[in-house]
Amino acid sequence: MKRALWKGRLVVAEHAVPVKLYAAVEDRKVRFRLLHAKDHAPVEQRIVRKSTGEDVAREARRKAYPIDRHTAVILQPDELAGLEPPAARELDVCRFVDAALLNDQWYDRPYYLGPDGDAARYLALAEALGKQHMVGIARWVMRKKRYLGALYLDGAHLMISTLRRAEQVVSFSQVEIPKAQAPRPSELELAKQLIESISGDFEPQRWHDEHRERLEALIAAKLSGRKVVAFKPKARAPQSGLTQALQASLARAREQDVA
Amino acid sequence: MPVRSFWSGTIAFGLVSIPVDLLAATRPRQTSMKLVDADGHALGRRFRCAKDGKELDQDDLVRGFETSSGELVPISDEEIEAASPEASRDIELHRFVPFEQIPRAFYVRSYFLAPAGRSAKAYVLLAKTMERTQRVAIGSFVMRGEAHLVAVLSDNGVLRATTLRYADELRSPKDIGLTKPKKKAAAAQVRRFTQAIEGLMRKTLDIAELEDRQAESLRSLAERKREHGKDVIALRGLVDAEEPEGSAEIIDLTDALRKSLSRKTRVATQDASAPREQAASVRKIGHARAKRSAATRDLARTSKSELLKLAAELDIAGRSKMDKQALVSAIRKAG
Repeated sequence: MKRALWKGRLVVAEHAVPVKLYAAVEDRKVRFRLLHAKDHAPVEQRIVRKSTGEDVAREARRKAYPIDRHTAVILQPDELAGLEPPAARELDVCRFVDAALLNDQWYDRPYYLGPDGDAARYLALAEALGKQHMVGIARWVMRKKRYLGALYLDGAHLMISTLRRAEQVVSFSQVEIPKAQAPRPSELELAKQLIESISGDFEPQRWHDEHRERLEALIAAKLSGRKVVAFKPKARAPQSGLTQALQASLARAREQDVA
Repeated sequence: MPVRSFWSGTIAFGLVSIPVDLLAATRPRQTSMKLVDADGHALGRRFRCAKDGKELDQDDLVRGFETSSGELVPISDEEIEAASPEASRDIELHRFVPFEQIPRAFYVRSYFLAPAGRSAKAYVLLAKTMERTQRVAIGSFVMRGEAHLVAVLSDNGVLRATTLRYADELRSPKDIGLTKPKKKAAAAQVRRFTQAIEGLMRKTLDIAELEDRQAESLRSLAERKREHGKDVIALRGLVDAEEPEGSAEIIDLTDALRKSLSRKTRVATQDASAPREQAASVRKIGHARAKRSAATRDLARTSKSELLKLAAELDIAGRSKMDKQALVSAIRKAG
């Protein structure tokens, strides 16, 4: 059983459901350490004053907020402490909306919510949520920071994904699409056939992080003293005109069963 | 405010090629701060050898891996680079899937794709067709030395590429220890919750609920202090208070590559590589030379034609439309 990151109470109108929060992301990033090239001793990072090179102890450091392109304002530790939101255990659900109102641009990190004791109430909420295709907008405070998230059902379990803030999401209307000749019906039909011939189900286990796997193989080889084989990329085919390209793609896809 | 493109590529599937410019579809939060001392002096990060306390330069450093027993195994830049994905400008589409099949937990970060070719016809055709068939393309591309899995979708005629997590980067309920419930919930309780949910249903989002209160409170405090002339300092030369992953040991591989490329002057004659690979190697060397130039000369005093040449070697997108100032900042960012 993985450890819960946090415990709280999901508040939906007058109901509260005790929950535990678990990370849904497994961090598999390959990380290297910095070593001194000469003797392979570990390297540590120090915070120094740039102009003098002298170490600056933690108590002497401050944070400065950039207020415009040329200016920053130092925010003192007591001032920052004054801005901290009060600690709370509630995940307040303010509203439910159609899931289509929040697209992929909004979603940040996913978490699982598991029951904390009262399994019956958790189950009832999960079932009630399962009947709608809605997500709940939730706000909570965790470790002195404000969080914004979307509550939804995934299979039989509640999930909550943190959301980006409104100021962070760029509208599609910011992208200029130059006027183009409207596609002809024959082109639309051909494109539809091409896409359908390369269609299939979403099978995420098919695609691997090959870069990470090569790094892991490199490390394994180094540890066992074997020689490392260099990675050779594939050559690419040349391009051609649009219609010919579409037709050729279609013919090839049909032959080779690309999907 | 229009968003600038920072990368260009080609959507490729079968024999179809659609040139596109990548633009950010998300902005960072306005909550990051800079590091100073109590008097407002700029602070920086320096590397020291843990053994003898000597300050170290980038050239004194090598990357290494720490084993479970604490052994430190050095790994050379060449070895790390050999494992890197081949630089490519293609966004290769592998398969089109129904949009609703992709769980939200897979989405990482979004980018808009704007048409970059002389004609937007192929782009419009792809966007229209994906919307008509309600499909999303699963693809991959390499950017800044990292290979990404993406979902390419169309939204109101605009294509968007959102990076995805790999399957093994997401835990299942079973991995966490959450089991499937053995019985159904009490009908009366479900009814009460359904009523509560219905009472909170709304047709639209409320932007006020989705705004960044933390950023707003930081900004208000800073503005008030500025008005009173308190603790106001220059922004120039200040570094971020938070490192991307909050630790001295965590290395961004892109930086590792950039470093190795800027230090080496290899000539592309080692092996009988295909013309495209040779072109890529030569581009890399021109790139490396350009990076060194960018680092050493005073860009502000360089002529615009020279800046354009540098920008070309660094493969900076949209350079023909930039004025001198924009070129200088783009080159500095790339180098």
